[in-house]
Amino acid sequence: MAMDPVVKLVTVPTAPEKAFRRFTEEIDAWWPRRSHSVFEASCVAVRMEREVGGRLYEVSESGEESTWGCLTAWDPPRRVAFTWHPGREEATAQSVEVTFRAVEDGTEVRVEHVGWEKLGDAAEETRSGYDRGWDLVLKRYVASLGKR
Amino acid sequence: MTDIQVLEAVGEPTRLAILEMLKDEPRTVGVLASALPVSQPAVSQHLKVLRDAGLVRSEKDGARRIQHLDPDGFRLLREWVDSFWDQALEAYRESFRQADESDDPGGG
Repeated sequence: MAMDPVVKLVTVPTAPEKAFRRFTEEIDAWWPRRSHSVFEASCVAVRMEREVGGRLYEVSESGEESTWGCLTAWDPPRRVAFTWHPGREEATAQSVEVTFRAVEDGTEVRVEHVGWEKLGDAAEETRSGYDRGWDLVLKRYVASLGKR
Repeated sequence: MTDIQVLEAVGEPTRLAILEMLKDEPRTVGVLASALPVSQPAVSQHLKVLRDAGLVRSEKDGARRIQHLDPDGFRLLREWVDSFWDQALEAYRESFRQADESDDPGGG
């Protein structure tokens, strides 16, 4: 895709186990809900189901849920990865991978947000676990190009 | 265009497929439509959304109009994503500073 991956690095002053737990299990404690959600001011919680295939989602005041993506990798305390489509159709999901590496000052956390050219790789990871339609539409379209 | 417009433009599967095809090479509406399971008018409508979002440009080539990806639109999209994660990770990092300051005897 014409959009190159976005890679961000941040170092936090704690061990990888804690850094990983804070990012995942405790995501609700820090995620900037008002600005980074579908429900915005009505968003009351962010949750991550901590297993491959688990959902990353937000909850509104009225109990409505909006799924941001599904986990494609769960490897504490090293790595978590998920599809990413907040407020969009699942078939247009991008991919986010977060890795945690011990460094002298604590843990270096790396977030890589990939556009659509690597969707095929993420799809292979999820395919064995469960049925997800998010890649099927795109793959069908791309496959149709091969006939041209 | 606005950030919301760009995000909505790329958040629809047919439009995403159009962008994928234009990534390979610029094409006319007719060629795009022949490769997609939607009508040509539908493709035209999707292209309008993509042009309004700054992601696609239309250029005349004789009697034809060729659709191109517009790198400026993608640059803006990437900047938005970059800023999104800057803010999220700042909040993440800040959460450790606050924990330190609260003097939690449980190890923070």
